[in-house]
Amino acid sequence: MTLIRKTGIYAVLLVGAFLSVFPYITVVFTSLKTAPQLNSTAPWRPAIPPTLDNFRKLFNGSIANVSFPAYLLHTVMMTVALTAGQLVFTTLAAYAFARMRFPGRELLFWAYVATLMVPNVVTMVPLYLIMQQFGWVDTWTGLLAPYIFGSPYGIFLMRQYFRTLPVDLEDAARIDGAGTLAILTRVILPLSKPILGTLTILTVVFAWHNFLWPLTITSSNSTRVLTVGIASLQGNLGADYDLMMAGSFVALVPLIVVFLFFQRSIVRSVALTGLK
Amino acid sequence: MVGMAATSRAGLQGAQPRHRARRRQVRDALTAYLFLGPSLFGVLAFLLAPVVIVAVLSLFKWSMLTSPQFVGLANYRRMAGDGSVWHSVGVTALYVVFTIPTQTVLALLLAMLLNTRLRGIRALRAFFVIPWMATPVVMGEVWKWIFSTQNGALNGFLGLFGVDPVPWLASPTFSLPAVAAVGVWSGTGYTMLFFLAGLQSIPESLYEAARLDGAGRSQQFFTITLPLLQPTMFFVLVTSIIGSFQVFDTVYAMTLGGPGEATSVLNFKIWTTAFQSFDDGYASALAMLLFGLLLLLTLVQVRFFRKRTTYELG
Repeated sequence: MTLIRKTGIYAVLLVGAFLSVFPYITVVFTSLKTAPQLNSTAPWRPAIPPTLDNFRKLFNGSIANVSFPAYLLHTVMMTVALTAGQLVFTTLAAYAFARMRFPGRELLFWAYVATLMVPNVVTMVPLYLIMQQFGWVDTWTGLLAPYIFGSPYGIFLMRQYFRTLPVDLEDAARIDGAGTLAILTRVILPLSKPILGTLTILTVVFAWHNFLWPLTITSSNSTRVLTVGIASLQGNLGADYDLMMAGSFVALVPLIVVFLFFQRSIVRSVALTGLK
Repeated sequence: MVGMAATSRAGLQGAQPRHRARRRQVRDALTAYLFLGPSLFGVLAFLLAPVVIVAVLSLFKWSMLTSPQFVGLANYRRMAGDGSVWHSVGVTALYVVFTIPTQTVLALLLAMLLNTRLRGIRALRAFFVIPWMATPVVMGEVWKWIFSTQNGALNGFLGLFGVDPVPWLASPTFSLPAVAAVGVWSGTGYTMLFFLAGLQSIPESLYEAARLDGAGRSQQFFTITLPLLQPTMFFVLVTSIIGSFQVFDTVYAMTLGGPGEATSVLNFKIWTTAFQSFDDGYASALAMLLFGLLLLLTLVQVRFFRKRTTYELG
């Protein structure tokens, strides 16, 4: 490869990499500025001196009707609950589809796959209606119920993986007298760590990003999550971008930290979801 | 695999009396349904039932507060004559046209550059996955600030070259391209990963043979790379078109469908009709329209690629 060619490739990739992180840099710089500094310093220059006032304001409850620490806590709670539910229920269902014999298996499996075609927004009105019937509007039950039982996509992903594992191991365990649940937890799951990692990453990111359903079903600070909280900050604050970016910083940083720790398996996981 | 399990189990059962085998079958089925139970409940109650409900609701006039009133196909007739709905369909189509070609070409280009063996290439690759980790609605707010007319980073940058501030998100001309640019920003790296996986599965020997035959770079690209990437291309286009057809979060954060109705994509239109205008029967009919359009789009793509795909991998 010629030197010019190499330099060209690096140049293009560096520009691309810069564009990928540029909004994050904006968030950091802006969140450390005071409102007057938004006017007086260029957007790409850091604040001198930097200030943590915006974060203080968000977290000490001085903005009317906004309880930012609660939003953060709710997002964490929702993410943990949905991920736990997804891991347990998806594994059980995927194993049933992959290895167990029961009437209606093929039909049900294709019904699951068919639901992948249903656009999210199509289910919003009926889901709201269902929650209203049960009195679950603006409750944790209502917020979690539609997603906690595992997603058809996750089940599809896990089933495909389970089917690649050798059956002999399970047969051997069965002859040794192990029950189905014991086989699943002691034989199958230890062999499935990579795919469980993938499922965890995908679910954590999905739950953390979740916006449309929380926006639809929650209306008070007792259930509001970060995404909805930040989107409604706008209404409360107008164009206070210094505060908005401090809020965005809080919402964006946890996933970036996760990314730094699990970078390699995240890159692999994303690529894997494209395979069948 | 399943076949193997079936035969080995049948072998075991052969030695047992028939009624015990039958009881075992029943027990197996019960265990299976026990395993399946929670997810089956979730899928039936929160995915399949809503689809049926939305279809039924589309035949009613209903505002959540009043009792529903059967109106037959009136919602669909109203939809056919509703200019703002077709405007929304047009805006959505334009959004897809703005994002998908740009994003796909950029992603393929990036994947090819990242598929070279240069020092530090792995670290660089990681940067492009970061936008996928960005929460869409939050990033919408961030980009709104970048596009902001006053003090925004983009206008600040253009100002260095003497360009007057442009009201990006307040302008009917620029608001949709601006929202689409954010779509490209968040989708390119993700798409790139699929192309990269596709590229890595093409055997190097094909390129060596082509070079021996005197094929140049562009010839190699059009006769080897592109044809062998067909399955990846199919997957990427189907999923990304379906995805961008349903854009909501960034629109909500950046423009709320405005200015006027310049960025009022179909998803946003449905949601506001349902939860701000409380015109829920009509919103259900619009949801059916979205569902139908997506099904149609997918069918067309499947057809198109079935005709053209000559290489099947895996």
